[in-house]
Amino acid sequence: MTLPGRDDAEADALLTDRYLESLLAADDRRAADAPADASLDRSVRDAATRLRRNLVRVHPSFRFEERLAGRLSDVARSMRLAPAAGGGATVAIRPVDRNMPPADFDPLADPDDNDDTTARSRPLLIGGALTSAALSIAGAAFVAWRRTRPARSPMARAVRAAHAERLRSGVRTSLRERAD
Amino acid sequence: MARPVFGRVSGQGSARARGAVTHLDRDRPLVEAARRDPERFDALYRRYLAQVYSYAYYELGDHHEAEDATERTFLAALSNLDRFEERARPADGDAASTFRVWLFRIARNVVANQRRQKRRRPTLPLEAAAVVPDPLDVERGAALRDEAAEAWRAVGRLPADRRRAVVLRFVEEMSTAEIAGILGRSEGAVRVLIHRALRSVGRDLGRDPRGESH
Repeated sequence: MTLPGRDDAEADALLTDRYLESLLAADDRRAADAPADASLDRSVRDAATRLRRNLVRVHPSFRFEERLAGRLSDVARSMRLAPAAGGGATVAIRPVDRNMPPADFDPLADPDDNDDTTARSRPLLIGGALTSAALSIAGAAFVAWRRTRPARSPMARAVRAAHAERLRSGVRTSLRERAD
Repeated sequence: MARPVFGRVSGQGSARARGAVTHLDRDRPLVEAARRDPERFDALYRRYLAQVYSYAYYELGDHHEAEDATERTFLAALSNLDRFEERARPADGDAASTFRVWLFRIARNVVANQRRQKRRRPTLPLEAAAVVPDPLDVERGAALRDEAAEAWRAVGRLPADRRRAVVLRFVEEMSTAEIAGILGRSEGAVRVLIHRALRSVGRDLGRDPRGESH
């Protein structure tokens, strides 16, 4: 079952998509605009025609194009030579510069490219601060609790007693030194 | 625009046995040639260079970074060409090219890595609005540049997924099916993304005193 609001959104989106199809086709006919369904939102239509007019393809420089073509040709040649030299060995391109993909590069890995960081960073920061504060409080409480508890094992009790004795004697020694 | 390739396939398998018309990737001959001889990859490179570069430029907002991303994309495509699998369906549309979808998924990946390294928001330089006005009509030229800059700004303010969908639809003239393949979403989701993006841009430009919609 789908919600009516969602159905409406999808129907509107479909209407927009049809208009965009005809708008892009109109460009091939060198027509300025394309017929649109009367129920298509006027502002959507205006935005579409305006983006169609202004979002143009940006071309790289000829120099860059030829440089990269040469670079690809070099790599292609090394790929062609590799099997000949290795006699059926797997082709492995050694990364020769920083732009070569690493050996474990997955070309189709789903990238985490949602760069709307403002929405995510604040809860992360607050969450981090809260976790850090909670850990500090828990740590302090544990140390306080541990100090008041007698140790369970005889060895631990002996170590504590020796430590306390050392502290006391140290205090006595320093007091004596001060008195001298 | 190049025509799609349709082939009548005969052989084993139920669909094949019926002699069904199967939609093939229009880049198939070029891809196969490049697989046989990597130096033939040049034809694919020339066909898609401007598209990949343009996509990278709209995403990164800087010519040098776009060049870097383009180089990485094509190097990755060339060295991973043996991993490319053609998955064209009739529903992918007449101009569908699964190689193009694959290439743009690599480009999206490369651009995402680059953005992560740089950790910066996209900036769309005004001078990049590649409008070519009549050199003798200075006023009209300035007006066109202003209009293009406003449109670029409005697109730059969109959330990342909407911006990406709009650029692929308007700049690269991709079908909804192709964009869905690149963004890893359903076609319905892509249509909604673009529709919402246009509503945002419409509102944005409507608020602008120099916009068309008021």
